[in-house]
Amino acid sequence: MSADLTARRFGVPQVTIARFAGRRLNLALVGLLIVVTLVALFARVLAPDNPVQPIGALNLPLGSEGHLLGTDGIGRDILSRTLIGIQTSWFSALVVVASGLVIGGIIGVAAGVSGGWLDNLLMRLTDLFLALPGTLVAIALVAALGFGLQNTLIGIAIVWWPYYARIIRGEARAMAARPHVEAARLAGISRTRVVFRHILPGVVPTAIVTASLDIGNVVILLAGLSFLGLGQAAPAPELGADTARNLQQLLTQWWVPVVPGLAVLLLSLVANLGGDAIRNLLAGRR
Amino acid sequence: MTRFLLRRTGSAVVLVLVLTAVVFVLQAVSPGDPVKAYLGNNASPAAIAAQRQALGLNDPLPVQYFHYIVHALQGNLGMSLRTRRPVMADLHDFLPATVELVAVAFVLALLLGSLYAVSGSLRWPGGAFFRGPLLVLATAPPFLLALGGIILFYAQLQVLPAAGRGVDSTGPSGFVLIDSILGGDATEFVAGVQHLVLPAVILSIAPSISIGRILRSSLDSTLASDYVRTARSKGLRPIVVLGKHVVRNSLGPGLSMAGLQLGFMFAGVVVVEQVFSWPGIGNYLAASIPTSDFPAIAGVTLVLGIIYIVANALVDVLQALADPRLNA
Repeated sequence: MSADLTARRFGVPQVTIARFAGRRLNLALVGLLIVVTLVALFARVLAPDNPVQPIGALNLPLGSEGHLLGTDGIGRDILSRTLIGIQTSWFSALVVVASGLVIGGIIGVAAGVSGGWLDNLLMRLTDLFLALPGTLVAIALVAALGFGLQNTLIGIAIVWWPYYARIIRGEARAMAARPHVEAARLAGISRTRVVFRHILPGVVPTAIVTASLDIGNVVILLAGLSFLGLGQAAPAPELGADTARNLQQLLTQWWVPVVPGLAVLLLSLVANLGGDAIRNLLAGRR
Repeated sequence: MTRFLLRRTGSAVVLVLVLTAVVFVLQAVSPGDPVKAYLGNNASPAAIAAQRQALGLNDPLPVQYFHYIVHALQGNLGMSLRTRRPVMADLHDFLPATVELVAVAFVLALLLGSLYAVSGSLRWPGGAFFRGPLLVLATAPPFLLALGGIILFYAQLQVLPAAGRGVDSTGPSGFVLIDSILGGDATEFVAGVQHLVLPAVILSIAPSISIGRILRSSLDSTLASDYVRTARSKGLRPIVVLGKHVVRNSLGPGLSMAGLQLGFMFAGVVVVEQVFSWPGIGNYLAASIPTSDFPAIAGVTLVLGIIYIVANALVDVLQALADPRLNA
């Protein structure tokens, strides 16, 4: 598989407005990532009402007094539910990406630095995972593990690391061949120290760019799985599940199923724009 | 070429074996009890023990795995815990609808992707007005696009249907479009197309961008190469340069990406089928998930996984045909 292909494996593309813009816009887009993270962090404080308790009239429209985004079929505040849903989605996506980064990073660096049979073994294993339809295997994994957000995250994490391992292995391999690493080895520095002081720092920028571009993919995937019921159990607010559960209201009170879906779109847009901006900022630095 | 074909077939077989092993292990650890699928919940302990023995559930796992593969090859994927029917019979009923939807969506994705790539690479005026909206749509979750499509084209404009395939039962092939052509039924064909439009377009948008971007960067690098400049400077018309020299040399990466995207379309189709009440394998899977019907989930995973593996092997062969340097 060419580098081109591994760089973009998913349906979800990057929106590349930022590429042509200046440093200031890139910084602003990264700021947007931070804002979303803060909103997710303080969702419980920001939410005006209890997200699982019915507190108002049923199916109030958008812009109702006290309920900015209206209420759902049993009178719960949609804004509150959406905010908590954003919290769940955003941190879940970050957890999956972080797990991919850690597992894929360890395997990738181990393979890239050691070379030889270990490299061969680890990369064959990675290719094997990449050749299977990951999302389908993840669905089967979750179904076998039992339902719940935690198992969904474990299931995705199991199929998610190979992509990171591939990219990080390539970068580690290139680093290991650089003159400064050779010099460090010749100076008699221990292998561990060479890896941590001279190879890892060179791998980090690529790893960060890969991870930040991946957050949007994971947000969409998680929303899809949650839509299918592979998330938290019923009363808990979750963006995909809230859309799925209120599907029958689409033609009468469209905002009830659509608002959580729009929140997913917002998260995915911010993640993609922010990831793009991080890439541009790091590329400009080098 | 023969060696390449043999090697590629070999690796596809290995992949299918790995997939069956994964599915088998998951099935072994999954909470559902296959015996109850056969006997119901009120069976006597003696009957349950006898059925366990008959199903080979007391054998060691490697023996069970061997039997699992033999049974799968014979078309026996066990009983669905939910429908109480053989999984294979369910798949036989539901697979054609999905294959028809994914096939149409796949062709659409290739067309949209090519349009994206060519309009960008050749700097068609106004191309950005096509690419920009497509990019934004592709960042949306598929279920949101489905809802938007239903509100706009079904509820507001009333030009497209929002549920089902448009026919009550299908003919011999199981594909609405093919059966209606075979039967010479024009109204059925039109209804089939109308019902396909929304789900297929929605399913094709995200993959079309991935294919389009790879194809575009590949076109750009080919267009910048020396032999294309030579072809141009000897006075060939642009369309001839494109058709004879550029396209064939640029297709490879786009084809690979298209093969990979098929995997994501299989995941997307589950969601899209649910919104559009499409009577396919995705809806079947979505209904099996909440009831923990693992034999059904395993069957769907296996069948879609095998289609994915075979399709990607075909893509590699196509690529080798387009570019003989690859089959070394």
